[in-house]
Amino acid sequence: MDMFLQTLVSGLLIGGLYAIIGIGMTLIMGVLGIINLAHGQILMVAMYITWILWQSFGIDPYLGMFITVPIVFYFGQFLAKYLLHPLIEKDSILPENQVLMTVGIGMVLVELARSIFSSDYRSVQTGYTDVVWHLGKISLSMPIVIDFFLAMLLTLGLFWLLMRTDLGRAIRATAQDKEAATLMGISAKKITILTFGLGSALTAAAGSLFLPIYYLYPDVGPLFTLKAFVITILGGLGSTVGAIAGGLVLGIAETFGATYFSMGYRDAVGLVIFLVVLIFFPGGLKRFTKV
Amino acid sequence: MLSLFIHITNKKGKNMKPIKILLIAILTGVLVFGISSCSKKTEGPVKVGVVLPLTGSKANFGEMEKNSYELALKKINADRKAKGQNPIEFVYEDDTGKPDVGRAAAEKLINVNKVKMLAGGYSSSVTFAAAAVAQQYRVPFLVNTGSVDKITQPEDFNLTTNDGDKFYIYRLNPPVSEYASGLEGLLATKVKPKSVFIIHENTAFGTKGAKAFQKSADKLGIKVLGVESYSGGTVDFKPLLSNAKKVKPDMMYMISYVMDAAMLMKQSREIGLMPKLFVGAGAGYTMPAFKENAGVASRNVVSATLWHQSLPIEGAKDYFDNYIKTYGGDGPDYHGAEAYSAAMVVDNVLARCKDNYDAETIKKALDATDMMTPFGPVKFTAYGKKIHQNRMQTYVVQWIDGALKLVWPEDLANAKFVFPIDWKKVWAD
Repeated sequence: MDMFLQTLVSGLLIGGLYAIIGIGMTLIMGVLGIINLAHGQILMVAMYITWILWQSFGIDPYLGMFITVPIVFYFGQFLAKYLLHPLIEKDSILPENQVLMTVGIGMVLVELARSIFSSDYRSVQTGYTDVVWHLGKISLSMPIVIDFFLAMLLTLGLFWLLMRTDLGRAIRATAQDKEAATLMGISAKKITILTFGLGSALTAAAGSLFLPIYYLYPDVGPLFTLKAFVITILGGLGSTVGAIAGGLVLGIAETFGATYFSMGYRDAVGLVIFLVVLIFFPGGLKRFTKV
Repeated sequence: MLSLFIHITNKKGKNMKPIKILLIAILTGVLVFGISSCSKKTEGPVKVGVVLPLTGSKANFGEMEKNSYELALKKINADRKAKGQNPIEFVYEDDTGKPDVGRAAAEKLINVNKVKMLAGGYSSSVTFAAAAVAQQYRVPFLVNTGSVDKITQPEDFNLTTNDGDKFYIYRLNPPVSEYASGLEGLLATKVKPKSVFIIHENTAFGTKGAKAFQKSADKLGIKVLGVESYSGGTVDFKPLLSNAKKVKPDMMYMISYVMDAAMLMKQSREIGLMPKLFVGAGAGYTMPAFKENAGVASRNVVSATLWHQSLPIEGAKDYFDNYIKTYGGDGPDYHGAEAYSAAMVVDNVLARCKDNYDAETIKKALDATDMMTPFGPVKFTAYGKKIHQNRMQTYVVQWIDGALKLVWPEDLANAKFVFPIDWKKVWAD
């Protein structure tokens, strides 16, 4: 029973973190209609920024987040404005080519990181990195718990933005029907660029949250791109609530698979769930929600 | 393929004679030119291909090995210049840690760069894939790190142990099944554990290493309580470690690359998994990055190793100091020493080829190799199912006071083996 609880809690906590990576990709998917394959690489950039802040200025990763997120927000907007949007504007360019563009962006980011930081592994050591809380027989690592709550806060904040503000309504309208939204006076270009920035910013937050519990090297990105991709499909393309559910499902499934089956099949467990959802609920988990 | 082509041209040859003649002329030209370029004495540097993971999750190891190759090359080419020999050029190709890329890298080095021989080979599965290419094109391949046993077993290449003259793969480092041989002595005499829990990465290196250690455990009368695998890059190892904690093993035996190793130790500390001893099977556990990233949790972890700078081998300490002088940092572990020594073996072998660098001559020179390197003596022998395998002793190291110390065998040790260990005290602060 203790084992079961421990597994469930571990899975939930890690799932909350996965969710926030997935939401970033889902947002971009919803508005731009493409899978951003540079998602993990943007997370890597954010991790490096947070790491530099910690290494050179002694800024705690959780505080560093408040500097990293705005930087990456503008960085994402820059990428969208000068690299992606020119491709979107031309009707003759297929959306597949925008996806290829994100692959290219990802490669450039990785090699830039390698030339600046070399392939060495980095991690942050803070006073709380190794702190463990014991709750009955369940052990909880403090940074993961903090991460989970910060991730939930960010998710709620995003919801408020999407549901209650004009900007959020504009984003949702563009995602639903770009042409109709344009007719209503929304600048599709502005919203596209802004959404890419917002998606990048969410990933950046995830990067800062991951740094105290994971480690960093130039090729860390693809691992997270894959996770985000699975979550986006699980959640039903473009659904934010679906992505949260997708993240939690993936986290819990991986942890249970690891405890009761074998950790060697961690990725297989995630992908089997992925297949099951695609076969039995082709629309993803989105069909259970209305948002 | 070629004969088919000729056959087709023959068939249509009746009314295509000029083309046929032209084709024959070109073919003959290619053959003559090809042969003449083979027998001609090579001008300029002798090219040697080196396959290493320079990007991807294992790039850290690849970088250390490439640095070591370059360090050796500087010295080698200075010596060669003095003796009036052709300089050597290492052509690096990135295998990204993936077997299919490694295969393509070896093919490119052989067909495009026209290298005379291959060296390098980091992870087991990549090295095996590259070795298959080398064998196919009959290009000698000196493996320096890839450790899965089958790399030097001719039967895995559809040959027998008597086919030494048809087998082009040579290996400097011991196979993974022998990594723990040095460790066995320490366990039998000092630790005497009753049970072990084995954790390994689900790669060729990890799986074979776990199997080999199970055999060692049987021999020493250690009960294996569980064998669990994981895939590299895992964030949360706690489910696996909790399974281990439940059965209370006397020792943990772990086969991992560097950051998984650091995560495993950090999280063992988190959940309070306290066996008598944590033992790593080389690879990640001896790397400086392991200590940096695992922090407190790296203390007193023991690992099998193939080399240590304090060993009484000529050149070992010089290489270690030179590396730090050139590249800074904490210095290399056995991976770097393997690469450095492989470069020395390549130099030695090519020098004995006397300017005749065809595959058979290089192969004969490799067969006759008997030299000393900073990694230890190198001589390719046959035993068991293996041929062209360099046999050597392995050692045991322990992280003591932030440094990797040699603790076994006792007569070579430069520090006293810390045991028993009070983890609560060691892991405090």
